[in-house]
Amino acid sequence: MQKSTTVLAAAITAALAVAAAPAAAEEAKSGLNNINVSAILNGGFTSRDEDFTGISGLPIDGDHASGPQDGFWLDHSELALSGAADDMIYGKMTVVLEDHDGDTEVELEEAFIQTMGLPHGLAIRAGRFMSNVGYLNAKHTHTDYYADRPIAYRGLLGRHYYDDGVRLNWVAPTDFYLEFGVEAFKGGQFPAASGDTVGSHVVYSKIGDDISESLSWQGGLAWMKTDVDPDHCSSHDHGHDDEHDEHDEHEEHHDDHDEHEEHEAGPAFCEFDGDKDFYVADFVLKWAPGGNYKYQSVTWQTEWIKVDEDGAVFHEEHDDHEEEEHEEHGEWEAFDADNTGWYTSLVYQWSPHWAAGVRYSEIDADDAYAEEGFDSPKAYDFMLQYNFSHFSLLRFQYTRDESQADGVEDNVFTLQYTTAIGDHGAHMF
Amino acid sequence: MRTCSKMWAVALTVLLSAAAPARALNIFACEPEWASLAKELAPEADIYSATTAYQDPHYVQARPSLIAKLRRADLFVCSGSELEIGWLPALQMRANNSKVRDGQPGAFYAAEQVERLDVLGKVDRSMGDVHGGGNPHVHWSPTRIEQIAKALTQRLIVIEPANAERYQQQLASFLQRWQTQREQWAAQASSLNGVQVVSYHTSYRYLYDWLGIEQVGDLEPKPGLPPTSGHLASLVSLHKQKPYQLIIYASYQDGKAANWLSSKTGTAVLGLPYSVDPNKEQLVDLFGLYQTAIDQLLAAVAADG
Repeated sequence: MQKSTTVLAAAITAALAVAAAPAAAEEAKSGLNNINVSAILNGGFTSRDEDFTGISGLPIDGDHASGPQDGFWLDHSELALSGAADDMIYGKMTVVLEDHDGDTEVELEEAFIQTMGLPHGLAIRAGRFMSNVGYLNAKHTHTDYYADRPIAYRGLLGRHYYDDGVRLNWVAPTDFYLEFGVEAFKGGQFPAASGDTVGSHVVYSKIGDDISESLSWQGGLAWMKTDVDPDHCSSHDHGHDDEHDEHDEHEEHHDDHDEHEEHEAGPAFCEFDGDKDFYVADFVLKWAPGGNYKYQSVTWQTEWIKVDEDGAVFHEEHDDHEEEEHEEHGEWEAFDADNTGWYTSLVYQWSPHWAAGVRYSEIDADDAYAEEGFDSPKAYDFMLQYNFSHFSLLRFQYTRDESQADGVEDNVFTLQYTTAIGDHGAHMF
Repeated sequence: MRTCSKMWAVALTVLLSAAAPARALNIFACEPEWASLAKELAPEADIYSATTAYQDPHYVQARPSLIAKLRRADLFVCSGSELEIGWLPALQMRANNSKVRDGQPGAFYAAEQVERLDVLGKVDRSMGDVHGGGNPHVHWSPTRIEQIAKALTQRLIVIEPANAERYQQQLASFLQRWQTQREQWAAQASSLNGVQVVSYHTSYRYLYDWLGIEQVGDLEPKPGLPPTSGHLASLVSLHKQKPYQLIIYASYQDGKAANWLSSKTGTAVLGLPYSVDPNKEQLVDLFGLYQTAIDQLLAAVAADG
């Protein structure tokens, strides 16, 4: 009898403790009640001799493909709000600052909800979010070890692919990490430009484990199919309402045959009508003595991206071509191309303050894109960063940029700061 | 299709295990001290510790293997009070395990079961990486260990009501042994009362509070920031005003700053174990951890004369 009273008393205490725990957590977050706010202030100064005009020959504009522009910049400063809506739904919204043609624009990068209570290791995410294709793509750029994405990303995927859609993923109940996911998107953001109901699909898998206490790895495979339709395309398309105006402008622009366009051997992004299949493989290996990442660590990461383009290209009438006009301005011709890009990066952190890294990236463009006398765009990077604390750093980066048109070679020097204010960010692998 | 049938198999397993608790309870401990406590209270459970005593629990990577382990857990036992804020929320987000989201019985934060020291009203990052909810290193308070053991037992009973009696017995056995030891340790360590030390971070805040040790200086200029030469110089001059007897750092911390300060002041330096280490006989459980720490403190103070 005495025992059962003890059990009862203890049960009541436990019930009270369970009830009191969330209240205590709320108390700690004074002011904003249960919403996490974080501001990332990211900016820098870059010195380069040649203005970036795009990656040699590839059908991508400077806005999507560029590294830091000459002078001061504020790219990817961001403001994020997140939290649990209720016990089933988590939500997050992120706006970022991006520079386009010298103007600073505010973009909605994320606005999604995610389930937290589905059984059997399933989860659904819906809204605008970054695709899980590849390793870097789903990460915010301010968490990178470099001031810019590798050219394999910038030339083929844009800096990253995010879009409006839905994801279903499943984490296997295995002893090692195994995840499968499918995503369906509207196809409204580069590298998609679709008029279809669903203009982009992704299937991905991720796998990873520890080799020892000190050594952990993760690998991934993904396939993405995007639709590109010139009628819904603008190479500056970021989901603006005035997209058609811009489209028209761009067409005019294009008719002028400006020098940028003339560099391209292959079709511009919006001249292509068809599908692009992306095959992405990624691998990350991290080492820290005894698994203690505070004082010392090494990170090796590498990704390989292959893009198969299959569709048709609208050839405009050129003065030096005396073709018959099938349509008003030209004719459609079948077009196939196969571009491959990859990068590899090694970063060594030798104290709580200091880290340095080297990176190499290149793209092997299809003959249809390759410029005469130019092998393949490539870039070599070296970076050195100093972390004042866990929440702020200063980075120096030198890039030997051999990615631009006409075989232009440039030495790019960047000094960058990144600071995080507010909610404590996660140390994602 | 195969994935689909696998999923059904998993679903079936989950249902069966709920009906007949033959399957061992799967417990994910964020730190080895909680793995040790869980082992005392639920010896049959399958217990996994996400970190070791040699990893700074503030700086853990949300690595793939941890996602997999949390995916299968019925319960996690973590410190809370923001100690794991850099990685546990990321794991919860990625593991797709509804049992271990916050507010569910499967989410157990040890520090939130007890009164914490140094709870701050207003927190600003210019103060360093401080925990507004109070110091999270609560496993160094023997009385709080008792409270946490009781709360954890109740949580185990909520999750597995059929084993309630067994869990109560385990708790009673643990408390009886622990309380006996606690009194012995207190008697043994009475000479440590009033000893002044300089320490790395506030990792032993609760141990000092219990034994009456006074931390007069911190090797970190601000919580979470590594020692700087300017700050260490100020600790050298502090020694002239308050001749502290010991410089203490934890097993996951770098000993360089402590050794430098020791060489400048002639003060003894001591690397204390921070948590349980299943591979070392002396540190195999919480009992061994406490005994070793007290023995080392006593030996260091005695040597100091």
